[in-house]
Amino acid sequence: MARKMIRVLLVEDEEINRVVARAALKAAGGGDVVDEAENGEVAVQRVRDAAAPYDLVLMDKQMPVMDGHEATRRIRGMGVTTPIVAVSSDGLPADVDAFITAGADDFTSKPLSKEKLGVILAKFRLA
Amino acid sequence: MDYSNLRRQAASMKKSLFDQGYLDEQFCQVEDLQDEASPNFVEEVVTLFFKDSGRLMSNIEQALEKYPRDFNRWDTYMQQLKGSCSSIGASRMKNECMSFRDSCGQGNVEGCMRSFQKVKREHAVLRQKLESYFQLLRQAGPAGAATRPVM
Repeated sequence: MARKMIRVLLVEDEEINRVVARAALKAAGGGDVVDEAENGEVAVQRVRDAAAPYDLVLMDKQMPVMDGHEATRRIRGMGVTTPIVAVSSDGLPADVDAFITAGADDFTSKPLSKEKLGVILAKFRLA
Repeated sequence: MDYSNLRRQAASMKKSLFDQGYLDEQFCQVEDLQDEASPNFVEEVVTLFFKDSGRLMSNIEQALEKYPRDFNRWDTYMQQLKGSCSSIGASRMKNECMSFRDSCGQGNVEGCMRSFQKVKREHAVLRQKLESYFQLLRQAGPAGAATRPVM
């Protein structure tokens, strides 16, 4: 039986972080389809307009236009149950709590690596 | 040309970058993402880092001038730069970014200015060292980046 294609939405404003994350996702086995959004507002649009649901959303915290907390809230407000993993360099308890309250399922710290993404993919049975 | 000698020099240079704290483990993580499909991935990412960080530093410099004592704005810009540094393992530069953010938190303008000068210095030094490293790697040939430094 063919393995299901993994569709990931990577929400991150800095290009270098997107480039590294994309490569790390591919190396971890989760990079079949990786769409990108440079801020929360674009992320909400991508989720709303996606031809097929994403299997995973990696959500940065601090972004222009709309931050990760608000984007997470809006995505959940649309009834979308796709796992959302918050990504931030500030791993303060208040930050993590704010994301979980907004509707994220998990939190991981920057920088992303093949190992961290491997754990996430395994947790949500995407590996 | 003695390629094995060049590879030894490249490995030694890389070890030195780690020993002196310029780079941390994240750089090795980025190297691990390089493969046959992306044979120049590390150099491409580092090139992108210096392009990005140049822009971010310019934003910070303008903000320091145009928005006096706007610590929130300064901190936001510096957090972006710190994030970029983390992505490639630019450890010393990242630490100076953190010092700047600490000064923002304390409302310490002089501290911010001092830290920013250090960020700029570390950026220039790292750029020069990594340019030399990649030049050596190119001369050494495809196996030049194979070794992880013993730390």
